[in-house]
Amino acid sequence: MNNIVVLPLIIPMFTGLLLAFFRKNIILQRTLSLASLVAVIGTTLYLVGQVRNEGIQILEIGGWQAPYGIVLVADMFSVLLVLTASVVSALCILFAFQTIGVQREQSYFYSLFQFLLTGVNGSFLTGDIFNLFVFFEVMLLASYVLLSLGGTKRQLKATIKYVVINSLSSTVFLLGVAYLYAVLGTLNMAHLSVRVAEVGQSGFLTVVAFIFMIVFSLKAALVLFFWLPESYSAPPTAIASVFAALLTKVGIYALFRVFTLIFYHQPEITHTLLGVLAALTMILGSIGAVAYRDIYRILVYNVIIGVGFIVVGLALFTEQAAMGSLYYLLHDMVAKALLFLLGGIIITVAGSEQLKRMGGLIRHYPLLGWSFLVTLFALGGIPPLSGFPGKVLILQQGLAKGVQYAGFNWLTALALISSLFVLFSLLKIFILAFWGETRPGSNAEIKNINGLLVPCVGLLALSIFLGVGAEILYPYVEQAGYSLLNPQLYIEAVLAR
Amino acid sequence: MSWLHLLILSPFIYTILIPFLYKSFRRIHTGWFVLPLPLILFACLIKQVKIVAKGSVLSYVARWIPSLGIDFVVYLDGLSLMFGLIITGVGALVVLYSVFYLAKEREALHNFYVYLLLFMGAMLGLVFAENVLVLYLFWELTSISSFLLIAFWYQRKSSCYGAQKAFMITVAGGLAMLAGVLLLANITGTFSIQEMISQFSLIRNNPTFIAAMLLLLLGAFTKSAQFPFHIWLPDAMEAPTPISAYLHSATMVKAGIYLIARFTPIFGGSMLWFWLVTGVGLLTLFWASLVAIRQVDLKAMLAYSTVGQLGLIICLLGIGSAAFYYGTGVTEPLYTTAILAAIFHLVNHSTFKGCLFMVVGIIDHEAGTRDIRRLGGLLNIMPVTFTLAVIGGFAMAGLPPFNGFLSKEMFFTGVLNASQFGIFHLETWGKLIPVVAWIASIFTFVYCLIFVTRPFLGKHHPQKLEKITREAHLGMLISPALLASLVILFFFFPNDLAKYILYPTMAAILPGFTAIDSGLGPIRAWHGWTPELFMTLGVVTAGLVVYFAFRKWPRIIRLPSRFTWNALYDGILEKTEELSGRVTGSYMTGRLRDYLIYIFVGFIILTAGTMVINGSFAFDLTTNSPVLFYEFVLFFVVIGAAVLVLRGRTRLASVVALGVVGYLIAGFYVILRAPDLALTQIVVETVTTVLFLLCLYFLPRWNEEKPEGFRRFDFVIALGVGLTVTSLALAASGNNLFDSISWFYEQAYELAGAKNIVNAILVDFRGFDTMFEILVLCIGGLGVHTLIKLYLEGRKSK
Repeated sequence: MNNIVVLPLIIPMFTGLLLAFFRKNIILQRTLSLASLVAVIGTTLYLVGQVRNEGIQILEIGGWQAPYGIVLVADMFSVLLVLTASVVSALCILFAFQTIGVQREQSYFYSLFQFLLTGVNGSFLTGDIFNLFVFFEVMLLASYVLLSLGGTKRQLKATIKYVVINSLSSTVFLLGVAYLYAVLGTLNMAHLSVRVAEVGQSGFLTVVAFIFMIVFSLKAALVLFFWLPESYSAPPTAIASVFAALLTKVGIYALFRVFTLIFYHQPEITHTLLGVLAALTMILGSIGAVAYRDIYRILVYNVIIGVGFIVVGLALFTEQAAMGSLYYLLHDMVAKALLFLLGGIIITVAGSEQLKRMGGLIRHYPLLGWSFLVTLFALGGIPPLSGFPGKVLILQQGLAKGVQYAGFNWLTALALISSLFVLFSLLKIFILAFWGETRPGSNAEIKNINGLLVPCVGLLALSIFLGVGAEILYPYVEQAGYSLLNPQLYIEAVLAR
Repeated sequence: MSWLHLLILSPFIYTILIPFLYKSFRRIHTGWFVLPLPLILFACLIKQVKIVAKGSVLSYVARWIPSLGIDFVVYLDGLSLMFGLIITGVGALVVLYSVFYLAKEREALHNFYVYLLLFMGAMLGLVFAENVLVLYLFWELTSISSFLLIAFWYQRKSSCYGAQKAFMITVAGGLAMLAGVLLLANITGTFSIQEMISQFSLIRNNPTFIAAMLLLLLGAFTKSAQFPFHIWLPDAMEAPTPISAYLHSATMVKAGIYLIARFTPIFGGSMLWFWLVTGVGLLTLFWASLVAIRQVDLKAMLAYSTVGQLGLIICLLGIGSAAFYYGTGVTEPLYTTAILAAIFHLVNHSTFKGCLFMVVGIIDHEAGTRDIRRLGGLLNIMPVTFTLAVIGGFAMAGLPPFNGFLSKEMFFTGVLNASQFGIFHLETWGKLIPVVAWIASIFTFVYCLIFVTRPFLGKHHPQKLEKITREAHLGMLISPALLASLVILFFFFPNDLAKYILYPTMAAILPGFTAIDSGLGPIRAWHGWTPELFMTLGVVTAGLVVYFAFRKWPRIIRLPSRFTWNALYDGILEKTEELSGRVTGSYMTGRLRDYLIYIFVGFIILTAGTMVINGSFAFDLTTNSPVLFYEFVLFFVVIGAAVLVLRGRTRLASVVALGVVGYLIAGFYVILRAPDLALTQIVVETVTTVLFLLCLYFLPRWNEEKPEGFRRFDFVIALGVGLTVTSLALAASGNNLFDSISWFYEQAYELAGAKNIVNAILVDFRGFDTMFEILVLCIGGLGVHTLIKLYLEGRKSK
């Protein structure tokens, strides 16, 4: 039992509630939201140390013994995601301070931001499948409101689709939980794992596994990403960045959790299907990324490619591949947030989302341009930046497994080619926006963007650290990969007394 | 960290200073600050020549990610040393040249030298890296710095185009190479090149051998601009000329050659490797020299000539790889001459081509154009430049007394030897190699002649030029002159070069090779009336004929002009964008209905399909309680009400019907004896119905919307979803595999002191859920508030 486990989600929740009462006091709002994030980062860092030294940490809420009560479980996989999510949120909120505007700030923006983080961190930490549903709801509701906050026509159009599709997926989630409970009689994930292992994952349980795969694929934007492009390009940059960095990652996390802890007995069926979905995602994402010439669309399809790439690691289903996915997940959170922030700044200074209305920005905004270039290299997996370690691990495992099953070779090839599409599509932005002739009129006045670049540089430093400092992270990532592929560790931590 | 690490990293560290130096000392050309660095590095490496010539190799380790086996290991042997010397040596000359080439008043010199130093460091890292992933790192870094340098004049569209093209092709090749080395690493369990080489037999017997080879070669061929990937190199000529001389002729494009040489001990001896490397090299040589003679831009001509010369070197390496047919590599001259020729020509090419590029730079700088149709008669104006052009050009053509003659003769020896190997079907097809090589050499001779004669001889047309032409500044002549003197020096003292540079390099490629018992005689300019000499004489004769014929009938050499590889590349790019736009647009319709259909169809296929396939759709109703009459009634009324929701004529009717469905569900709860659920349901239903009715007040009038017809497809899907969910529920209830944990909650009173089990679950056992569900409601409330209050765009007033 460790009470610290609950702090990463309870701190933002209470902060959010508190802030709702002081909505006119912007200084207080900003101070408190930043303080809350710093506190979350601090406690999570402490938690990471504890997990490293003492193994998986759990908290049985209300003192009710698992599997009867709700339990929070902090294993290395979870805490690393919580940590990264919180750090990225902190940097995005620094950006929001300068860009989000007084009106949104006075309309509960900071509360909603804290609630979003509550949902995200809660999803990462819970060990109960129904509780996961609840945290998904917290996260989704917060994202609905953040998406529509401001009430512009574009936002509302995007929100209605986003809300309908996500409500549908929540319904299917609930159905899945109900069926699972009907069959296995429990909701605790460790307990579910034990019971599935006992009866074997066959027949109807495969069907239930597929229901969860559909639900989490919808959240992760794995093949079912139709809701994503519009809803990630409608809100203000600070919000879009948090969405791009965190929301799909929660879905990916859930896929990893469920398909390594509960439904891992028939990888030839479930994980093969995941591989197919990952392949489709990378193909469709790559096609989408090169199809357009406006910044937001290119960026959102890059989010989708990243999702496919990470799930390849799950489909491969080896310890090394899981480690690769985790490395890549951490990288992707940082780099996608950075990409969206930079994209937002580009649009601001150029005054348009269309690449054809841009040009020559490097002359007046060199730091912006070079940051963007480094970010795109990081996303393309070019060493020694953050995308590299994960990419190498995944590709290497893909090729190793390809010796036995040729399908994995194709998957690896797709993963490799998709990074070419990432580079191509983002390079197009760089070349068309930053190089070429300066457009007359488009940037008549040179805007001061130094303040906006502060969080970007922070994220950039983080991205470089994740690559150059891969060795420092290694023991943590290794522990996470090991515990993912050895579910008995999780089960023992939760159920053994 | 060792001195060698420091040597590689020093250019990177130095880049940090450049912007400051540029800003602080605007009156001094930044190039002067940069120049000492390559000179110092060159001196450091020169000191190693004697040690390496004695046969020792140096290796140092710096840890990076040891847990993944990725360490920054550097390795200095003959091969890497030779490259290191070229990189730093030519680098120093290029920096010197650039000081006079780029005006300090107009150009963004800090950018230029930062990119240049980035490249220098990357290239040094590439050749000294012993770990394949570190090699890959520097490999991509050279592509990146090349990308930046090509687009140094980023305002120009053609620069951006060339930069993008070069980057995409070389990076695509880099990714292929990454996959290739990862395959090798999977076989051998190491990322170290030397350890891989020591396990070569393991690699050769592995089923992924061919795949690894092809992927690796893809990397090498793209980087070294081999056919059909050569198309990026001519467009890379948009870079400032010093860069073209440095990256795109002397160093970066030779990275592919380096890679092939480095991995020859692993792949050499395989027939596929032999034919691929030899064949592609030869084909490139042939194709590029054919295209080169048609160029009117001097720089484009040199670009194609570089492509061809690289092909020549690669072809020789391919022939030499046959030495590994017999295990670890034989060292008989029959095989090794080709490798020696490859290395020799590589060194020579760096000298004469560097010189020629600088000559073009001078012409461009002084005359304002590189177009041979506008140039002519420069001989009298620029005699020094002409001399340099002659030295470089004739060396490239393979004429004495220049170093190109020696290596060209050796090239002929190499291709002639190939047919005598008696392996790889060479006894038949091998005859073709010298023939193609000879024809390609004729064209090489022709374009060399064009290069030397067209700008300098003939009539001078000042009216075609934009500025008054004079001889270049002395500073600009130093670098090419130094290179030209090397061209002559190597001709007269080839054996000293061989002893210190070429043989150690060979030893690095061929493990058993030693200079003493190599059987290779000293390199001589005159070696009797050999077939090689006759081939050279033939080249000169035939070349002169073609040259004059070509001047008279320029169309004598027709190339297929409609189909070009460039058009293919451009077409692919254009088509990809167009096609992908169409593909994406076809399913991303922006219509919610379509998206829901995708989801529902996926849901039905995946769940219902699986149930049918694995036969898990089984349920047993016997244990269920019997269905009562009232339940049947409720059931049908619910269905009726649901239909009414959809078919309602007015909104009001639909909302009321929806309310009816809700209340009837509450009825089920009553029958099933769940009064608290029923109460909750009734309250919720009442509130939502009232809210709906309130909302109706604000909506536009009904008849303003289009009436929807009956959609059969939608109906089928809706029905399918309903049936699937129902059968899933039935199957789930028929599949109770375990006792539920709910027995625990039945002790609610003992455990929690609660008489109402539902309350105990909601507020105690699972109170955590409830708390966050309340938060969800709270967020929902905030959402409604913001939707009503905050509208940034403004709203039409009623």
